[in-house]
Amino acid sequence: MNFPTHLMNNGEVVTIDVPRRLTSEISGELKKIMKEFLEQEKYKIVINLEKTKYMDSSGLGAIVSKIAATRTKGGDIRLAAPQQTIIDLLELTHINQIVKIYDTVEEAVKSFKE
Amino acid sequence: MKYQEDMIVDRRNFHYTEPDYTRPVLQIPDYFSQRFKNKLTFLYSKSRLDLIYPELERILKVYYAHKTPQMIEWEKSFDPENRFTERDVILITYGDLIRTPNQKPLRTLSQLTETYLRNVINTLHILPFFPSSSDRGFAVMDFEEVDPNLGTWDDILELKKDFKLMFDGVFNHVSSKSRWFQEFLNQNPQFLDFFVVFSTKQQLSPDQLRLIVRPRTTPILTEFCTLNGKRLVWTTFSQDQIDLNYHNPHVLLKMIEILLTYVRRGADIIRLDAVTYLWEELGTSCVHLEQTHAIIKLFRDILDAVAPHVAIITETNVPHKENIRYFGNGKDEAQMVYNFALPPLVLYSFQNENAKKLTEWAASLEKPSNEATFFNFLDSHDGVGVMAVQEILSQEEMDMMALRVVEHGGFISYRANPDGSLSPYELNITWFSAINNEDANEPMELQVKRYIASRAIALVLMGVPGIYLHGFLGSKNDADLVIEEKSTRSINRKTLNKKELLRSLENPETTTYHVTRQLVRLIEIRKRQRAFHPNSPQKILKVADEIFGVIRYTMDHQEIILTLTNVSSKRVPLTINLKAWGILGNHHWHDLLSKRSFKTENNQISLEVDPYQILWLKARNGNFRILD
Repeated sequence: MNFPTHLMNNGEVVTIDVPRRLTSEISGELKKIMKEFLEQEKYKIVINLEKTKYMDSSGLGAIVSKIAATRTKGGDIRLAAPQQTIIDLLELTHINQIVKIYDTVEEAVKSFKE
Repeated sequence: MKYQEDMIVDRRNFHYTEPDYTRPVLQIPDYFSQRFKNKLTFLYSKSRLDLIYPELERILKVYYAHKTPQMIEWEKSFDPENRFTERDVILITYGDLIRTPNQKPLRTLSQLTETYLRNVINTLHILPFFPSSSDRGFAVMDFEEVDPNLGTWDDILELKKDFKLMFDGVFNHVSSKSRWFQEFLNQNPQFLDFFVVFSTKQQLSPDQLRLIVRPRTTPILTEFCTLNGKRLVWTTFSQDQIDLNYHNPHVLLKMIEILLTYVRRGADIIRLDAVTYLWEELGTSCVHLEQTHAIIKLFRDILDAVAPHVAIITETNVPHKENIRYFGNGKDEAQMVYNFALPPLVLYSFQNENAKKLTEWAASLEKPSNEATFFNFLDSHDGVGVMAVQEILSQEEMDMMALRVVEHGGFISYRANPDGSLSPYELNITWFSAINNEDANEPMELQVKRYIASRAIALVLMGVPGIYLHGFLGSKNDADLVIEEKSTRSINRKTLNKKELLRSLENPETTTYHVTRQLVRLIEIRKRQRAFHPNSPQKILKVADEIFGVIRYTMDHQEIILTLTNVSSKRVPLTINLKAWGILGNHHWHDLLSKRSFKTENNQISLEVDPYQILWLKARNGNFRILD
């Protein structure tokens, strides 16, 4: 399994750990996991990018693939601990204007309480 | 219906390459002379008219000396009310979007369009094909040359054999690598006033800065080192695109010369790119100022005087009310205006499976005149602009539309607000990917059907339809190119290999195969219907939230077409009371697409519209009456 997941805040928030490389080979799996969480009515998702050093366009698309679907249900997709190369990519594509980015997973999880 | 274009005339022979001064020179009629002078006086004051007007007169005389007797004769029967007809469909493309080894791209384009599109579309908009330093051609280094990487003026003329041509007039700015700007850097006195220049940042106060409206988040002033030290120049779009200073009449006169050069080189339509930003005036928003409108009107007068068959189209991604101001009074400014509200409203309709907002807006559209019309596009080389729907959709609705675009693999471009915050300016995505979600696991047939339904809306509304090449092909997002080129607009600008494209066109397993065939069929049917003439009136029907309904009828009331497009995945039963829409009489309707017939009884027509179905119902006999 490429994407370990954890339930936080008494199961209200889901965190998904992304591996070192998020590319087209595995981005479909991330999309599928997020889809399944939505089916389970889990709409608050934190994507943990702590380990991620490289992301291609397919990976980028995967992390925002449910952005509208979560928000229409009062949830959100939030990013945690991206490295500078990933931040550069998010800025280049203006995704940083759409999703909230936090320094740590804890902060991202906590933000759903605010 | 016979139109002037039916006359056998080769428009390639409209101009000599060199002026013929053996003929009598142009005598400018008083009517036009006065109009020119009024506008120049408004822009530059009466005291400077004696210096400016003779030069304008000279430029027009030089242009006129290039006109061939064939053109002069042809012009005599030119009818501005039939400049655009139901036959007009514009294909938008870069000169090098299709490539093949060892061939200049314009030649490749010429071969492909001649083979596949000659009897489908009749106008080609070749995006800027001049030498350029950035922004995919929109940072022009030399307005009068063809980029040698694309081809030559002869290649452009060759395209004119089969198509009317639309050129870009990128008149707001020039490349920082252009000779003009280089001469400014050299502090050549002739070019010192060609640009909007400041010595210090303080010359632009924070209050003045806050008022300026522009679609970028970069600094408006860019610093350059000149022979005489550092200077700050006005750059609306990027550091490489230097705004021209139209306060200097020599700039205007130079651009008029270039406008007429494009006419000589074969332009039938000139697209005024980013024209909103033409005139800067500190203490104002610097967008669509009266001086900008005056310059466009002057261009119109000039073309009316010496090349009346050439039209102006304005490209202004601004709120709808401001956008349609570029029609002027319908007869004195642009003959065509990009219908910027249409793409986001069609997209919104399909995203929400509800055409109510689109219907309400379309019902408010008025024909500007019989000499001007809308350019009904859904996609272009840029993204889906959202400025035009600022007052039509709520912020929440716009935000959700943008998020759905992101879900479909697209991106959002932002602009800076006066308070420093950012707002979405355009959505970057191919039209096919905007309408369909690749992750949805739907059959291709359904995705193509939904896509064609969206395109049909632009084909039935009053105006001239335009289709970007990638839209014609049903291309999907190319997000890799976004990262490679560091531009979100690149998502819709993939260069295609000719051989691969030809394979896709012939392979029934590709969306391109189905999209192109179905679009060609729709266009071919449209072209034969006078009711789709841009001047044919329209009535917008409010029959069901899922249905976008339009009635088009000829001005002589002889032909009528009732179009229905289902923007939803639901089957929608309808009973339309035609009397309520001013159509009286009992008659048969014939669907131009499915060939089925429907009958009106007691002024009512009952039918079911399948998911994403398009119906173009034409009344079969003349047994009806239309109340305007």
